[in-house]
Amino acid sequence: MTAGMDATRDDGLLITSMPPRPAQVRLAVGVVACLAAALAAAWPFAQVPFPAAAPLLPAYAALILITDLITAVLLFGLFAIERSRAILALATGYLFVAVLVVPWLLTFPGALDAGMTEATAWIGATRRLGFPLFVLAYATIRDAEPAFPNPPVPAARVVAATGLATLALAGLVVAAALANPALLPRLMQDDTRITPAWTTVASLAMALYAVDLVLLWQRRRSLLDTWMIVVICTLVIELLLLSFLSAGRLSLGWWAGRLCGLASASVILLVLLSETTTLYVRLARATIAERRARAERLTAVEAFSAAIAHEVNQPLASMVTNADAALRWLDRPRPDLAEAKGALERIVADGHRASQLVASIRAMFRSGVQARVPLDVGTLVADVLRCQQGEARLGHVSVRADLPPDLPLVVVEPIQIGQVVANLVANAIDAMAGITDRARIVFVRCQRLDASVVVSVADSGPGLGPGDRERMFEPFFTTKESGMGMGLAFCRTVVEAHGGRIWAAANAPTGAVFAFALPVEAAR
Amino acid sequence: MTPQATVYVIDDDPGMRAAFESLLRSVGHAVRAFSTTEAFRTAARPDSPACLILDVRLPGASGLEFQAELARLGVEMPVVFVSAHADVPMSVTAMKAGALEFLTKPVRDQDLLDAVHRGLGVDRDRRAARAEQEGLIRRAADLTPREREVVGLVAGGLPNKAIAARLELSEVTVKVHRAQAMKKLKAASLPDLVRIADSLGITRKP
Repeated sequence: MTAGMDATRDDGLLITSMPPRPAQVRLAVGVVACLAAALAAAWPFAQVPFPAAAPLLPAYAALILITDLITAVLLFGLFAIERSRAILALATGYLFVAVLVVPWLLTFPGALDAGMTEATAWIGATRRLGFPLFVLAYATIRDAEPAFPNPPVPAARVVAATGLATLALAGLVVAAALANPALLPRLMQDDTRITPAWTTVASLAMALYAVDLVLLWQRRRSLLDTWMIVVICTLVIELLLLSFLSAGRLSLGWWAGRLCGLASASVILLVLLSETTTLYVRLARATIAERRARAERLTAVEAFSAAIAHEVNQPLASMVTNADAALRWLDRPRPDLAEAKGALERIVADGHRASQLVASIRAMFRSGVQARVPLDVGTLVADVLRCQQGEARLGHVSVRADLPPDLPLVVVEPIQIGQVVANLVANAIDAMAGITDRARIVFVRCQRLDASVVVSVADSGPGLGPGDRERMFEPFFTTKESGMGMGLAFCRTVVEAHGGRIWAAANAPTGAVFAFALPVEAAR
Repeated sequence: MTPQATVYVIDDDPGMRAAFESLLRSVGHAVRAFSTTEAFRTAARPDSPACLILDVRLPGASGLEFQAELARLGVEMPVVFVSAHADVPMSVTAMKAGALEFLTKPVRDQDLLDAVHRGLGVDRDRRAARAEQEGLIRRAADLTPREREVVGLVAGGLPNKAIAARLELSEVTVKVHRAQAMKKLKAASLPDLVRIADSLGITRKP
C-alpha cells in the first residue's frame, strides 16, 4: 500500500501521476474537435472509391507498426519504473496491435497477391476488439495498484514474459484466421465490401470504446488518462469512417479512417516523448537548483564558522594579553600587585565569556539531544545570574531578580533554557554599555501566567529600534558590530522547540523587555 | 627635554582594551584607549610622540578605512594593526598604506611592545626632523635676497671669485655675504652650509 501510494502520488512528475494542466486539456479537446471536423468533412466523400492509393498501404502499415511498437516500448519502460499493472496492460495492448499489423498487411488482398481477404478481416477484427479490451484492463486495474509487492519480480523478466505471451497470442490469432476461414462467420463479401457480421464486430468494438470512455472519464486523474480518452475518441472516429460511412475497403472514407487510426496511434507516443523531454528539462533544472542551494548552504556554514572562530578568539586574545600584562606587573623591580590582580580578574571574566560562548554554540548544535526534565525555572535563572555576575560587574550593571519560590515546574532541557536566559541577560548588559545618564539595571522576573511560566528580562538601555523588532529573531541579524546575530535566533529556536514563544516589547520609561513563555505540563 | 610619549589604543572590545592598556602601562607607557575611531578623532591629543594600536574590525569605519582617513587628516602617527582574523590581502593593504606592523590576535606581548617601541622611535625621529627643518626655514627667512643667492651659488660649487664675477660684486663683498649667511643659518662649515642649502632647496647649479 504505502510504497505504491508513494510511487503513484509521489511528486506528480510522471505522466501517470501528473494531473493534466488546463492547457493540455484544451489541446486534447482541440485534437478531438479537429478529428471530428475531419470526419464531418470526409462524410460526403466517404463512399467514393479510391483504389489508386493501394500501393501506400505497406507504408501505412509500417508507420502503424513502428509507432505502436515505440509506444509499447516506452510504456514498458514506464512500467519498469512504476510497477503498475495498468501500465503493463496498456503496453501489452500496444504491442499486441503492433505485431498484428504485420500479418494484416501480408494477408491484405493485393499485397502479396494471396487473396486472403477473410484472414485480413479477422486479424483486423481481433486488433479492433483487442485494443479496447486492453484499455479496459488499464482503466480497471488502476485502482488495484500497487502490483508486485516485495520482493519485486525484476521488471525485465515481467516485460519479457508479457512480450512473449503477446507474441504467442498474436500467433494464435493469425493461425486461427488462416487455418480454416470456412469455420468463422464471413466478414467480407469480396475483397472490398463488408458483411453484416463485420458490422456486428464493429458495433461490438464501438460498445467497448464506449465502456472505455466511460471508465477513463470516471477515473481521469493523470495526463495519460486524458490522452487515452483522446485515443479512444480517434478510434471511434476511425471505426465510424471505416465501417459505417465508407463503401468498404479502399474507398475515400476508408482511407480517411486509416489516417485517423495513424493519428490515434501517434497520440500517446507524442505525449510520452514530449512529457519525457519536459520532465528531463525539469529534472535538470531541479538538479541545478539543488546544487546552487548546496553551495549557498556551504557559504553560510563558512560564514558561520568564521563568525564563531572570531567570537571565540576575542576572549582568548584578551586573556593572553591580560596574562602578559600581569606577568610584567609582577616582574617589575617593585611588583605592582593591584595591577596584576586587575589583569587576572579580567582573565577570569574572559574565561567565563569564552565558556559561555562555547556552551551556546554547543547548545545550538545539539538541540533534541539533551533529555527534558521537570524543573523550577526560578532556580535555573538564579544559577544563570550567578554565572553572569562577573560580566555584570564589568559592565557596571546591577542585576535584580524576582524569582518566586512557588512557581510550577516546567519540562525543559536545562542547558538550552539556561542558555536562552544567559543570552537575554548578556544582551541586556551589552545594550546598556553606552548608558551614562541613568542607572544600568537588568531586572529578571519569573511569574506564572495562566498555563505558562513567563521569564522576562528588562533593561534600562536605549530600547529597540523600529526596524529591529521584525528582524531581530532572524539568524545573522545583529545590531552589535562584534556579534554574529545568532543569539536571539537560537533563543527563538529553543523556546519554540519547547512549545513556548518569545517576544520583545518596550520597557517603561526606557529600555526593552525580552520575555519568553514556557507551557506548564498538565498536572500529572 | 622631549615631551611624554603616548600610545593610543582603539579596540571595541572592552576586555581587549583593558588588556592592552595594562600591558603597555606595565612597561611604562602612557596609554589612552578608545572604543571607537570617532572618540579618538574628537579627543584632544597632546603634541607629543605617539603610536596607534588599531583593531582592524571596528564598529563604523574599519581600521583599514580609518588608516586612510588619518592620512587624509594629516595625522602622521605610526599605526600598529591588530586583527583577530588577518588574511594576507588585508595585511598587504595595511602595510602598503604605511602601517608599521600587522599583528594577529592573540598578540605576543614582545611583538607588540617592540612594534610600539619602534613606532614611538619613528615618530620621535619624524618630529625631530620636522623640528629641525622648521628651524632651518625660520633661520633662512632672515637671509637677505643677496645672501640667499650667494649661498645657493656656493652650494652649487662655485668659488668666491666666480660668484663675484657672476653677480658683478667684489670678491670681498661675496665673502662678507657668505660669512653673514653662515652665521644666520648656524652653519659650522662649508659642507654644513651645502647640506642646509640642499635641504632648503636653494642650491643653484651653475
